Amino acid sequence: MGKFARLGFWLSGLIVLAVIALGCIAPLVPYEPADAVSYDDALVSPSLAHLMGTDEQGRDIAIRLVKGTEAFFLPGLMAAAISIVLGGLTGALTGYATGFFRTAVLGALQLLDTLPRLVFIILVCTIRDPSVMLIAFVAGILFIPTVATVIRRKVESLASEDYILAHIAHGFSPVRVLLHHILWLQCWPILVRQAAFVFGYVLFVETGLSYLGDYGVQEPTPSWGNMVAQVRSLPSDAPWPWLIPAAAIVLTISGFLAFGNLAARRGEEAVR
Amino acid sequence: MSEPMLTVRDLVIEFDTQAGRRRVVDGVSFSVQPGEVLGILGESGSGKTLSTLAVLGLIPGRPGVVSGEIELTLDGVRHKLLETLPAVVTRSAQGEYRKDDRRWGRMVNRQMRPLWGRAMTAVFQNPKQSLDPLMTIGAQLDESVRLAHPELARPDVRARSLDWLSRVKLHNPPRVHASYAHELSGGMCQRAMIAIALAREPRLLVADEPTTGLDTTVRQEIVELFHELLAAERRAMMYISHDIREVLFLAREVIVMRAGKIVEVATADDLRTGTGVRHPYTRTLLQAADLPVGEAA
Repeated sequence: MGKFARLGFWLSGLIVLAVIALGCIAPLVPYEPADAVSYDDALVSPSLAHLMGTDEQGRDIAIRLVKGTEAFFLPGLMAAAISIVLGGLTGALTGYATGFFRTAVLGALQLLDTLPRLVFIILVCTIRDPSVMLIAFVAGILFIPTVATVIRRKVESLASEDYILAHIAHGFSPVRVLLHHILWLQCWPILVRQAAFVFGYVLFVETGLSYLGDYGVQEPTPSWGNMVAQVRSLPSDAPWPWLIPAAAIVLTISGFLAFGNLAARRGEEAVR
Repeated sequence: MSEPMLTVRDLVIEFDTQAGRRRVVDGVSFSVQPGEVLGILGESGSGKTLSTLAVLGLIPGRPGVVSGEIELTLDGVRHKLLETLPAVVTRSAQGEYRKDDRRWGRMVNRQMRPLWGRAMTAVFQNPKQSLDPLMTIGAQLDESVRLAHPELARPDVRARSLDWLSRVKLHNPPRVHASYAHELSGGMCQRAMIAIALAREPRLLVADEPTTGLDTTVRQEIVELFHELLAAERRAMMYISHDIREVLFLAREVIVMRAGKIVEVATADDLRTGTGVRHPYTRTLLQAADLPVGEAA
């Protein structure tokens, strides 16, 4: 790993840590969106009283930014968990199993993989009560095939390794060999990369839908997406109310993607 | 002589290659007596490794084992390992074999699972690749001890593991216990591998060219270790090697394989002293090792 990659790893790691910290703190911050409105303070530039300034309704942007992490944090974690747990298990199973079962599961995964993700998520939102949790749940399911495929390839390539043969000959439990020796010890870098990606994807979809309005987080509850949406009515000399959340979105998504990739690379180098 | 613990009869193994189907093991029969070491001698590609992997049930389909019988007797119970084979092999009018790979794989797994480890296990060549690169030696050894003695508590498992490490003459057992395979030398890995295999307490140990790729001095130490832990304790073992001296040192009975067939069955004593009539290939091997070659056939 080069110097540049190592720097990227620590920087992106910092972003990930910061987002996780904010996500944990946010629910503890008392915030009543209606009470925060104060038209006298509308569009104040960043200052000591309001670190990131205020928006058109005089609400403090820093607090809304922190509170906005609530919109995607838990849903993102849930989606990542769903995709790596279920994807990891189906991947390990299809890498090990043979016969009709394997064919059937692979077929189902392929079918799931052909669904256009964003369109399918919006479709589900139109037929059920839209919520970020629902979006995240569907996103988690939709990423199962991606995770399962990389894990299956890994399991298949490891199956012919001498030490796996030796474990079988010693009579080590096949379930343990599969789950512990292969899935856990060998595949964790892959799982980290996928989890970070899915988390980033949920943030992307949540902010996108909140920006567009109908299916995302509704005003006055803050989301980075509906904060950016203010761009439509803001005067051009007051860019901070949308610029700051937009920067947060870009930084967080790229931070998570970079961290996933670089952490996995470090892991894979250590594994070898 | 008592009843053999392992009997292999007319084992035939074939594989499909680009040049068509090739018979790599051709009607091999042998047996292992309880507490005896059987030496299997032969060059690379003679089918010696495949014959023993077949005994362990570790040969995948396509077509792999196509006929034969393997019988394992444990505590008076007879296990017929290839009993289900005829059910998955069909023969066409032209005498061509077809084998249902998947059914075969399932049947082998079901039948072998209770036998793997408890009845027999193996020490392979390439000790470094035979150890899990991501688990400490200790973690793997502990697993082996735990499987052999599920009743033991955690500290006792560790104590027994450390004891095994010192029995295979590894210095500083606690350090080795906490090491990964890549931190140890090839010889140390093979000692650890032997400890893991023996800690499982198998009735029959299959050692498949365990000294290949090791330094000459280390090879000798490993062979002596096998002698001490198996031959001397009268545990049954199949010792596969292409080195006639190793085989003669360890085994009581020796079979010599070439091109998928057994060309010679003899006692180690006869081979050492040059008694009896010898196959030309065996004579070449004996000659190469500066041993009396015996009479020509």
